[in-house]
Formats: sequence, structure tokens, C-alpha cells
Amino acid sequence: MNKSLKRLALASTAFLALASGAVAQQTVVWWDFLGGGDGVRMKSLIDQFNQEHQGEIQIEATTLEWGSPYYTKLQTSAAIGEGPDIATYHLSRMPLAVDSGTLAEISDEDMESVGLSDASYTEAAANAAKVDDTRYGVPFDQHGLILFYNKDMLEEAGMLDENGLPTGLDGMENFEAALEQFTTDGMYGLSMPTGDRYRMVYSLFGQQGGTMYDEAAGGFFPTDEDLEKLSTATETMARWVENGWTPQQIESPAALALFTSGQSPFFLMGNWEVPTFTDLAERGEMFEWGAVEVPVLFDQPAAWSDSHAFVIPANAGAEADPEKRAAVMEVIKWMNENSLDWAGAGHLPAYNEVRQSAEFQEMKPQSVYAGFADTAVFDPRTTLAGPAAPLGDAWNNYIVPATSGEMEPADAAAQMRDDLNSQL
Amino acid sequence: MLRDKRQEYLTALVLVGPFIIIYGALFVWPTIQMVMLSFTDAPLIGPGEWVGLENYFKILSHRLFHAAFWNTAYFVVLTVVPNTLVSLAIAMAVNRLKGWQQSLVLAAFFLPYILPVSVVFLTWNWIIDVQYGLIQWLVRPFNGGEPISLTRTIPLFMPTVAFVTIWWTLGFNVLLFIAGLRNISPEIYEAAALDSAGRWRQFARITWPLIWPVTALVLTIQLIAQLKIFDQVYLFSIGGRQDATIVLVQYIYKLAFQQNRGGEGATAAVLLFAMIIVLSVLQYQLLRARGEK
Repeated sequence: MNKSLKRLALASTAFLALASGAVAQQTVVWWDFLGGGDGVRMKSLIDQFNQEHQGEIQIEATTLEWGSPYYTKLQTSAAIGEGPDIATYHLSRMPLAVDSGTLAEISDEDMESVGLSDASYTEAAANAAKVDDTRYGVPFDQHGLILFYNKDMLEEAGMLDENGLPTGLDGMENFEAALEQFTTDGMYGLSMPTGDRYRMVYSLFGQQGGTMYDEAAGGFFPTDEDLEKLSTATETMARWVENGWTPQQIESPAALALFTSGQSPFFLMGNWEVPTFTDLAERGEMFEWGAVEVPVLFDQPAAWSDSHAFVIPANAGAEADPEKRAAVMEVIKWMNENSLDWAGAGHLPAYNEVRQSAEFQEMKPQSVYAGFADTAVFDPRTTLAGPAAPLGDAWNNYIVPATSGEMEPADAAAQMRDDLNSQL
Repeated sequence: MLRDKRQEYLTALVLVGPFIIIYGALFVWPTIQMVMLSFTDAPLIGPGEWVGLENYFKILSHRLFHAAFWNTAYFVVLTVVPNTLVSLAIAMAVNRLKGWQQSLVLAAFFLPYILPVSVVFLTWNWIIDVQYGLIQWLVRPFNGGEPISLTRTIPLFMPTVAFVTIWWTLGFNVLLFIAGLRNISPEIYEAAALDSAGRWRQFARITWPLIWPVTALVLTIQLIAQLKIFDQVYLFSIGGRQDATIVLVQYIYKLAFQQNRGGEGATAAVLLFAMIIVLSVLQYQLLRARGEK
């Protein structure tokens, strides 16, 4: 049925084009915030799209600064009708985007016109793209916290199995013993940037089954137990710092260097660093490495996760005409179908067909950690959540200092709850 | 001779007109809009309901506003006078050099000033990096041999950023001072030398009083610039405890662009605007009065 609808849509577009007497090439203005290793892969995807669609659709892409600058620019430009035709967006920030009126609805008809539907994605991703049952985005990937490891070092320590996967990391005792074992003079058991510790704290919070936000129950960390779980997660990280297993203060580039220079066997980071290591390995500047899901240290598997999606900005006074919209939907569909290349950037394709394909299963280490898609903990659904939003500030202002021993974990947790609830 | 007054007015209007139009459209009108916006609960984009003085009461009692105010004041204290004194010292030293040597040294001091803030940030971020930074060689002995993160340790944040700011911006002040020093006629020094005035006396009685107008100007420009401090503080605090080191412009940015509260952002902006006007006028008048004594 989808096929026939698609054909119908194609036929009617062609007919319209003929009727208007012009086969104008559509230019789709594209904004993204992908500046790292994944940005390089996105650029080659865009080039490939442009080559395949010469004379029909051409993407004109701009990469902007990640975070507040990007989201602010998108919001202000959409408000005056000068926004792009398509943009990348984090699903965790969807409620804030809708609250500020930045995004246009993507209807079921839009999706069907290119043969997509909610069923093309995991339920979690399809739901995260909606606010109050209205769809404002099409998921593209899922990304999250994973554990990178140095195979050479683990092998020497007898901690690798025959498949090259680390053994004996599950459970707090085992994991901490491993950290202790590798921490010697000038060496650290674990590398991770100080500013990114919140991702691990949130993962550990999720592993205890904590609830971060429940509107009905009164907002952030609704019960004392939830607050305690946050303190426990923070205390864990603070203990690792206090024991010297991970540097007390370290910036992102230095944390990366600590791992790549062999001064630390483990690196807790987002899967977007996969291309960095792949590229280094190709140039022969990297040891044997691998990546697995975050080990289960508490009761259940969980890891911080978010999702990149495509959105159509609600350009005030300059709503997209049907042909432009058809072109944008074509871009979205093509990108989804070709998201295997995007998986090269370490991300898990949101599109079921690609994620379940044999080709993806062969990709290493992507397929090794692909399981986190099912056990991921997303940011809560509130207008305060998402990158470059108040929730991120609260993590940095309370929890991160608590992990470095500058605040008491329990105080930090309570202050974070109060601060966030006061902003609701 | 009789002059045609109307002709003169017309000429004046033609010459000044374009400036007045641009000034009105790009400065006066937005300022009026900002003040009006501060009385509404508008989001970042679009109009809002009139709420009277509510925003002012809210902002003035906001804990974060107080933090931003004191951090900004602290930063001003750390930069304005030190920057001026260091610039004057460098200018006097450079002024003693001659020919190509002078040009070379002057260029070396001025070069950082033309760098964009992002380059300054990236360069210094590596220099002060807690794992690999060069500066750690100097810092370690003061911390029992341990490295210390200069931008993540809250008490060290402002002094560090102030130091980088002075390094970055003093080139321009040096230029202003050199221009001022060259305006002092050599004959005065010659006469002073004949009266057997020493170096220090020459500085205290000739250079310092005669350079005072330039000093007053530099201090005022510095005060205004440092009250508006944002870029460096924002960049160095990314990934850290931003609330602990927040400055006023950053607070405005946070309210308006991050929390989508245009009205409250405008209120904070009006307060900063008023502060800058009052302080800079006050300071300039005080400095002038001292100069005329």
C-alpha cells in the first residue's frame, strides 16, 4: 500500500511539474551542528545525495556551532521566516523546541508520501519525536554513552575473551578492581572529561531504576528515593575521582589524548568518538581498540542516550510550498535509507531496516554496543531538557562539582532538584 | 560680512544627517524597544503581556543576578587598573627604543589584539590545561607538586581569565599611550634634566601629569569594555560550573537565549545599561577633576 501511495505521490508531483511547465530544480537549505568526525561523514552523505539527484534536488548545507548558538539561531531565524528548509535536532530538546514555536508539524501524510511511518523506527524513537501526539521530527539515529577500551592493555592483564571482548567488568566490585589495577604512576584506570561525568552519573542513576522527572508526581526527582539514587550515583563517581582512578579535572581533548596515548585502558564517552579512533587506526596511529555497552554496576543495564533527528523549521510567513516539502521529505527518506554510512560515525541508525540489516550486524564495534538502544535512558520529557538547556546547566553546576569533591553529593542532589523545580 | 544662516544649517544637516538616521535606527530605537520590552513577559521572539515592574523586582532579587553582578565587579577590579598600568609601563619602555627595534617590539605587543577571541581561548586553554599545559610547570610548586585546573577551580577562574584578557587587549592601550608620550615635547625633559631632575622626578612631575588625559581615556574605555565582558568568561566556563562564574552579559544571554525569557533578559540588559552609563560618567568626571587640579 505504501508503494502505491508513493507512486501516486511521484506521479502527481511529476504531473504538477509538467502542468506548471517548469521542471525547476529544488534547493534544500540544510543546517546541522555536526562539526566532529561525524560531520565529515555527513558531508560525504550530502555529496552523494546531490550527485544522485542532479537536476532535481540539491542540498545546500551549512554546519553551525553545536549547542546554544545553533539552537538560538534556528529559533530566531525560524521566527522571522529565514530558517533553513531542514535541520538536525536532538530529540531530547523537542519539548523546548515546540514550546518556543520553532518547529513545523510533520504529518502522517508527509511520512506516507515517502513510504515512512512510526513503524519504521523503534517505539521509543518514534515517541520521542512527538510532543502531545504531534510529530515534529523524524528520528535519524540513536547515540549514547559507551565504554571504549584498549585491547592491548586488557590482553596483557588477561581480561580479554577469545572474541576480543573485555571480561570481568560487570558489577561494582569487579569494575572498581579493574580501575584500581590499572592506576599506577602516571596511569589512570579510566579517562573521561570532567564536564561529561554527568552522562555516567545519569547512566548509574538509570541503572538503579531512578525517575528523574514526573510531572504528575511534582517535577524533578519526585521521591526521596529518587534523590537518594542520584546521590548514590554521584558518590560512585566521586569515589573514583577520590581514589585517583580518573583525573580530578580534565578537559575533553586531554581526556581523549590520555586514552589514545595508552595512559588509560578505558574511555567513557559518547559513540561519536568512534570515527576519531577509526581514522587514527587507518593512519596506523592507534592501538587495537574496541567498544562495548556501559557495564552494569547496579541493578539493570542503562546508559545515557539521545537521538539526532531531522526537523522542518516553522518559518513564519514563509511556509514551505508542497514541492519544497516533497523535496525535504525525499531528503529525509534518502538519508534514512543510507544511514548505514552514518553508522560509520558510531551512531545506531534509527531506521529499523538499516539497523536490522546484515551489513550493520557486520559493523564493528557498532553492532557490539547496539544493545544500548533498548536499555537507554533518555533525558526526561520537559522543556528544561536537552543539550544547551537548563538541565545541562544544572548537571554542571551541582553534580559535576560534587564528583570532584567540591560539594557533598547529597547536598548537590537536593540543590539540583530545587533549582530545576524552581524553573518549571 | 553677512552669512546665510539657513545655508549653514542645511550644510550641517546634510553632513550630520546620515549619521543621525543610522544612529537613531540602530541605537536609539532599539534602546527604546529594549526598555519597553523589559516591562513585558515576552519570550525571546514576539510580543508579550505588560507586567509593569514585576521583572525588575524579580531580577533584582534573583540569586544569580547578584552572583553575576559581583563577578562582573570583581572582573573589573582585576582588569581595568592593572591593564592600564601595565600598558603605560610597556609604552614607556617601548618609547625608549628607536627605529626598527621599536616597530618590532610594538608589533609583538599589538599582535595578540588582532586575534579573534576563539583563537585566544583555544591557545590559552592548551597552555593552562591541567594535564598537558605549559603553565603547570609554574603552578605545580605552589600546589605541592600537583597540577591544578586554573579554570575549573572557582577562586582561580576570574584571575586567570583576567590575566588572559590583559595579555590579549593591552596592545591597543600601549598604542594610545605611545601617541600620548610622543606628544610631550622633548624640550621639557631637557629643561628638567638641566635642573638636575632624576628619572623618577621627571616621571612624577612631567610624564604622569601630561599623560593623564590619555590615562583617563584608557581607564574609561577599559571600564566600559570590562563591564560588558562575556566572550572569554563564557568560553572558559563551557563544561564547568557556569553559575559560579557567571557575569552580567552571560546572565542576560542565559535568560533570553537559553531560557526563552526575552522580557527578563531585557530587564537585566536595562540594568546593565544604566550601570555602565552611571559608572563611566562618574569615573570620567572624577578623573577629569583630578587632571585639572
